[in-house]
Amino acid sequence: MAAGVLSGCAPTGPENVRFYLSKPEAIPYFRELVKTYNAEQNRIHVTLDTSANLQAGFLRGNPPDLGLLNYNMEMSRFMERGALSDLGDMPEASHILPDVQKLVDQYATYRGRTSVLPYSVMAASVIYNKQIFAEQGIAIPQTWAEFQAACEKLTAAGITPIYGTFKDPWTVAQGWFDYAVGGMVNVADFYAGLNKEGTDVGAHSAVSFQKSLLEPTQRMQEIAQKYTNKDAAAKGYGDGNLAFAQGKAAMYFQGPWALGEIAKTAPDLQLGTFPLPMTDNPQDLKVRVNIDLAAWIPEASKHQKAAREFLTYLFQPSVIDDYNAKFLGYGTTTDAAPVTDPRIVGMREYYDRAAFYQGASKAIPLTIPTENYVQGIVLGADPKSTLATLDADWARLALRR
Amino acid sequence: MTTLTPRRSGRIGTERPRWSTTIILLLCAVTVIIPLYVTIVTAFKTTSQAVDGNVFSLPAPWSVDGFVQAWNLTNVPQAFAVSVFVTALTVAGTILLAAFASFAIARNWDRKFFRWSFFYLLAAMFLPFPVLALPQIQLTGFAGLDNPVGVAILHIMFQLSFSVLLFTAFLRSIPIELEESARIDGASTSQVFWKLIFPLLAPMSATVGIFAFLASWNDFMMPSLITSDPAMQTLPVVQSIFQTQFSNNYNVSFASYLMAMAPAIIVYLFTQRWVMAGVTQGAVKG
Repeated sequence: MAAGVLSGCAPTGPENVRFYLSKPEAIPYFRELVKTYNAEQNRIHVTLDTSANLQAGFLRGNPPDLGLLNYNMEMSRFMERGALSDLGDMPEASHILPDVQKLVDQYATYRGRTSVLPYSVMAASVIYNKQIFAEQGIAIPQTWAEFQAACEKLTAAGITPIYGTFKDPWTVAQGWFDYAVGGMVNVADFYAGLNKEGTDVGAHSAVSFQKSLLEPTQRMQEIAQKYTNKDAAAKGYGDGNLAFAQGKAAMYFQGPWALGEIAKTAPDLQLGTFPLPMTDNPQDLKVRVNIDLAAWIPEASKHQKAAREFLTYLFQPSVIDDYNAKFLGYGTTTDAAPVTDPRIVGMREYYDRAAFYQGASKAIPLTIPTENYVQGIVLGADPKSTLATLDADWARLALRR
Repeated sequence: MTTLTPRRSGRIGTERPRWSTTIILLLCAVTVIIPLYVTIVTAFKTTSQAVDGNVFSLPAPWSVDGFVQAWNLTNVPQAFAVSVFVTALTVAGTILLAAFASFAIARNWDRKFFRWSFFYLLAAMFLPFPVLALPQIQLTGFAGLDNPVGVAILHIMFQLSFSVLLFTAFLRSIPIELEESARIDGASTSQVFWKLIFPLLAPMSATVGIFAFLASWNDFMMPSLITSDPAMQTLPVVQSIFQTQFSNNYNVSFASYLMAMAPAIIVYLFTQRWVMAGVTQGAVKG
């Protein structure tokens, strides 16, 4: 309401667009971008908002005019209820890679609308220390057997194969669980099957956590217990970044966001990435992706036209490519510049042929403590009974809805 | 006990140290000093030193980079001004409204309406803000109060119950005869309140004010939900951008926290005398 009053004061001045961005690392970058944009033209004045509370904004009826933020299941609730306007008629919408646009639809859709345009995708897989791999003469493993052999070789040389940070449950879900499941199971199909089963999910349903995810989870437990540092249970994300930067392990199950953290300690460390092989078929190799930033314009915005104009600016190849290059993201458009950073270029061939999946742990509503369940498994809990608990939780939630 | 008192106050140096108490107090002091020490040294570290895992090490080299970044990332002066505005309004509003209500309640305790309004106000203590958040957001939105003024009003409302509790307990310890003599001299109710009761309430007002200050200055959730204009946010909310799951900028965040903490610490240093006095005064009914 206040924003409406403020812009109402000056009918002849530029139209005010409130632009919401919450990615802390990217704030200085977008602040400069907004400054440049405001200086270049005088029809629209963009205000960068980094502290808004979205739930409160939508509830009050004055959400930001343009949002550019992480897209996940929580955000999809707004789209599901039709709170986001249709951007399908914008030329930018037709430039989005179809496989990337599909990632958005995996969470929710709304009556044929294209309400969310992906801006940047983060691809995550195993980060490895190139120097250690070269010294030990290890090639990038392509199969489960090769991966185990590599770990054995490292252990024999007295090197910790993988640095585990099991104190932070999200690191277990993001790296261990998602890589293990995504490397073996088709995640999107699995959840489609689960949703079909609904309240019937359990020991006897066609699709269930305890049946479909048992094997990857067992393998995850095996490598977590055999090939990690002894004190993994006591180490958190910050400890892991530091230890890996100091060369204390050969591999690290984290996404590109950790690369910037590692660079704080060791800016010149030679790092690379490869998908975690979970089967004996190299054709099964896939990388985990998540939508780092996605753009949307709310129905409730009073400045939709101006917001669209700024959105067009954001999607200009020079702007979007520059962002993705700086923040280690993968492009979402058909004409995006290819990734060149040596640390993440190892995932390019998989990304380019859409051999990717969204994290399995991210498709479960937050009311189910998935991260804590999988943390229990890497610390030694029985995978079968833990997955059965997950099934029961899923069925209960399906009943409640 | 009575024979000891003059000797103790006369010659402080000869007093036997009470080791058990000293040790406990020392431990209590350490729990405050260690985090404060870590905050200060981390704020002056460089980013690479801040993530090296040695929290107790001294900064080498000393760097003000964290402060510069924190200052640039958030509009500190503006957020600071908004925080001061909200807090000042909350403190003044809480003291005045709670004193009014308590005076009316304490002096009309025999009447059902006042007794029940006391219980009604106290009941608010059992309603945490998160439970009421959604309707409050909508209501403030409808009323055009999705700004710092709305935040201050809500802060006052949530401080009211505890403050009324403190004030009424204190008011009961003020002899009614004082008031009666003022009335015999012809004072009206408002004169009795402003000339007699409110000055007498001063120590308790200080306590109430300090609690209101701390609650309002440190609050994150309410301003973050209620205020819709990002330029009108308070310090704790704009600071929340420094820490996320994926990145740790300890030096920047601690520098920023230090800047936000400073006023609270300074206020406490100057007013702790009254905090202590006020707490014990309200604790026992005269």
